[in-house]
Amino acid sequence: MKLLMKEWKLCMHPTGYLMPLMAGLVLVPGYPYGVCCFYVGLSIFFICLTAREDHDAGYTLMLPVSRQDAVRARILFCAGLETADLLLMGVFILIKNVIGSLPNPAGLDAGVALIGEGMILFAIFNLVFFPVYYQEISKPGKAFAFAATAMFLWIVLEIVGTYTVPFFRDILDQPDPMYMSDKLLFTLGGLALFLAGTARSIQLSAKKFEAADLSL
Amino acid sequence: MASEINSPLEVRGLSKKYPAFTLRDVSFRLAPGCITGFIGRNGAGKTTTINAMLSFVHPDSGEITFFGRPWAEHEREIKEKIGFVSTGMTYHTRKKLKAITAVTRAFYPAWDGKAYEKYMTAFGLDGEKTPAELSNGMKIKYALALALSHGAELLILDEPTSGLDPVSREELVEVFLRLKEEGKTVFFSTHITSDLEKCADRILFLQQGCLKADEPLNAFREAWRIAECAGEMPPALVRAACGTCRTRDGFTVLVRKENAEAFNARKASLEEIMVHLEKEADRT
Repeated sequence: MKLLMKEWKLCMHPTGYLMPLMAGLVLVPGYPYGVCCFYVGLSIFFICLTAREDHDAGYTLMLPVSRQDAVRARILFCAGLETADLLLMGVFILIKNVIGSLPNPAGLDAGVALIGEGMILFAIFNLVFFPVYYQEISKPGKAFAFAATAMFLWIVLEIVGTYTVPFFRDILDQPDPMYMSDKLLFTLGGLALFLAGTARSIQLSAKKFEAADLSL
Repeated sequence: MASEINSPLEVRGLSKKYPAFTLRDVSFRLAPGCITGFIGRNGAGKTTTINAMLSFVHPDSGEITFFGRPWAEHEREIKEKIGFVSTGMTYHTRKKLKAITAVTRAFYPAWDGKAYEKYMTAFGLDGEKTPAELSNGMKIKYALALALSHGAELLILDEPTSGLDPVSREELVEVFLRLKEEGKTVFFSTHITSDLEKCADRILFLQQGCLKADEPLNAFREAWRIAECAGEMPPALVRAACGTCRTRDGFTVLVRKENAEAFNARKASLEEIMVHLEKEADRT
């Protein structure tokens, strides 16, 4: 908890407050909504970049905490931003459904399934970004390049899937509340992947960070 | 045996190999309540040694204990008893000192708010300022205030006086002497040896990754003499020389005290000893 507070008070980058609001892009017609999650990934990159410039690792590792604690706190803090983004996305989806929604030609419609899609995207981001970042914390750009590429590949697959894969095209990409049980199941699956992916990311990242020689 | 267990820091056989540099078999132990100067030129391995001591880098071999306890099993409790201050306090330079303090204090059960206020006042620090607004000397003082407020008994200082003007350096040396009076142990890495002449009890001299001396300051200085020589050096002096430097009028030559009588040699400063030995190492 103390380390989470440290992340918030000392490491939070202004984009960490702003980027989750990009969930509001679900109000824009004809937009690849998975990109909303990319913006949060961008803010996480900025947090790690600022942490490097502020020599946060040197500060944190002299506190009475272990490297593993430091890794866990950073990833959980970022997972908190991702969760905020998904919750806001839920709010904007509700608003969009109230004011009336047209089908989205650029991927999934703004519906329940999109939240599951966002969770999968964040699971991918966390699994790629943090282990690469903690292998060499002086190079957050490298980690972000890998993670952003992985996210965009999944977004492309998702968009293509809404035209070619029957489950995506005929069920997930249909307006709510159609096929709600299937969509909820998909979203629950996304939640499971998000939780498992983040937990695995913590494990892998802590292992990489433990093994790293730091130049502080 | 009991005093060994109570040593604030003991390093045994520390080695670390990099492609272009190797730290070889460094061993020493600090006496409690003393100021130990850790000297050597830039690149000698001082920071590597400190990074290995604090587990920032993983040594290839060696054993490091703080207060008789190994880092791996006692990391948290060791960190509560030590303070580390590096060149300039560069952490979170755009945050107010009071914000950094508020975060930091939460991690230390033994945090002493009164001591913190005392040191902030004594050092002339304002919690509303950010590290970016402080001079390098004030940054060091703030880092010291944090370390002392959580009850650090051992202070590890990596080049704390580098880049400071002579007055600021003098002020910091006075702080270190005051800390020694309070019973703190200070491990002070620097290449500005004149600061150590004023405060150190013991000297560790690191040269090209090897510890060349681990002695009381006075004994280390006493062991050497400087002979001055205008023009060509006599053969006897060449044979006795342990390091030679050019000067405006000729040469200064470092010789061992026992060989110095014939050359009308004078006492050597710490800086002269280090510079001459480094020149000799470069030459060979």
